[in-house]
Amino acid sequence: MNGALARALLRLFAVQGSYNYERLLGVGVGVAEEPLLRDLGESRYRPAVARGAQFFNAHPYLIGLAVGAAARAEHDGAAPDQIERLREALCGPLGSLGDRLVWAGWLPFLSGLTLAGVALGAGWSAVGAFLIVYNIGHVALRWWALKAGWTHGTRVSVALHHPVLQKAGAVLGPAMAFSVGAALPLTAAYLSAPFDSWARVALAVVAALSFLALRLRGDRINGLRLSLALAAVALVVGLIWQ
Amino acid sequence: MTLPIELLLALLVWGTLVGVDLVSLPQMMIARPLVAGTVAGAILGDIPTGLKLGVVFELLQYDILPVGAVRYPEYGPATVAAVATAHASSGVLGLGLGALVGLVTGLLGGVTINVLRRVNSRIVHAAAAQLESGDPSALVRLHVGGLLRDALRAALVTIVGLVLAWLARPLLGGVLTVRGAVLLAVAIVATALAAGAAGTLRLVGRGPNLAWFAAGLGGGIAATIWLR
Repeated sequence: MNGALARALLRLFAVQGSYNYERLLGVGVGVAEEPLLRDLGESRYRPAVARGAQFFNAHPYLIGLAVGAAARAEHDGAAPDQIERLREALCGPLGSLGDRLVWAGWLPFLSGLTLAGVALGAGWSAVGAFLIVYNIGHVALRWWALKAGWTHGTRVSVALHHPVLQKAGAVLGPAMAFSVGAALPLTAAYLSAPFDSWARVALAVVAALSFLALRLRGDRINGLRLSLALAAVALVVGLIWQ
Repeated sequence: MTLPIELLLALLVWGTLVGVDLVSLPQMMIARPLVAGTVAGAILGDIPTGLKLGVVFELLQYDILPVGAVRYPEYGPATVAAVATAHASSGVLGLGLGALVGLVTGLLGGVTINVLRRVNSRIVHAAAAQLESGDPSALVRLHVGGLLRDALRAALVTIVGLVLAWLARPLLGGVLTVRGAVLLAVAIVATALAAGAAGTLRLVGRGPNLAWFAAGLGGGIAATIWLR
């Protein structure tokens, strides 16, 4: 079964490859689960594959938990409606846990450290360290999720209460806030270095006004739209003000 | 921007890999602008420019929290195009023009992601009967098709970005004064800093993490003053 788990893990790296608005990640989940279902026997294999490819959405790094748990449940002879309920029940928790741990924790924490490193002159080595450290956590999380799902089957909720996950969630939030907070002024100094003094003042004023706009009207504008709008204004003014 | 064909091809391959990494495979974060920009800079033999544009777009990336099926711009190939633009023009002009090309490319990339998902939806819908029958080869075929379409999409976005980079210098570089170039760079760098701060505060919220953010900010300000 280790070979099947390894194949499933490899396929999990591409779980979002066919992302669509009909089944979201369902097709990718079915593809990742399929190697774990091959020894079920023909009568149970195809219905299990079909169930695996139903609608599914969660954080991509933790989807292995659902893949392993559903495959284990199929092997244990769980009823089809029980497996479907298991999958439905896992969507929300796996999504919110992964978003909190990775998108709002591990990734911005390391990104903040890297920004600070670059601003302090560490150069490409800071970026290289980011890639290595981030992916140690990334691969470990994917592997743990698949193994935990396969181990616990329908009782997979036990794995979601693993103390390491709880601890990581509690530590990463403050760590992320601190690292990005520290990176922002360092980055501002790094980016403003090539500008003259009048341009630095203009930079500070525009940054403050843009920050206020994004905080107060964040429901209507985002960073991209605001950047494009201000760039267009700057272009027009720059062309006129010869 | 006039680059040898081998460098253009290397940028195209890198932009495509970066575009695919964002969602499809393997999400190892080479799509992060800091990484995409640094490697694009290394390809061009200009790592400092890659780092600088990477930092600008990394800050803009904080504006995005990719939860659920949310739509967002794609800053990976955009950063590659931005670095290619900036490499051709020195100093603040390069920073401003590069960032502008990157923003337009990022907007386009976001649109193509949405289009691709709609196309995938139609194809998956059409194959519903095969999926319901549990046909594994149909399942894998659908999935690999999605991956290949994403690779094609990422390549097209990178090509458009590189064409914009090629056009930027003759179209804008010649007519912009130094003052205009500075204004352009100021506008984009300022909004990137604002987006980074606002996006981080959204992540931090009003709970206990806000104190950690304030502590980090204070430490960063102190370090910045000390280093001057």
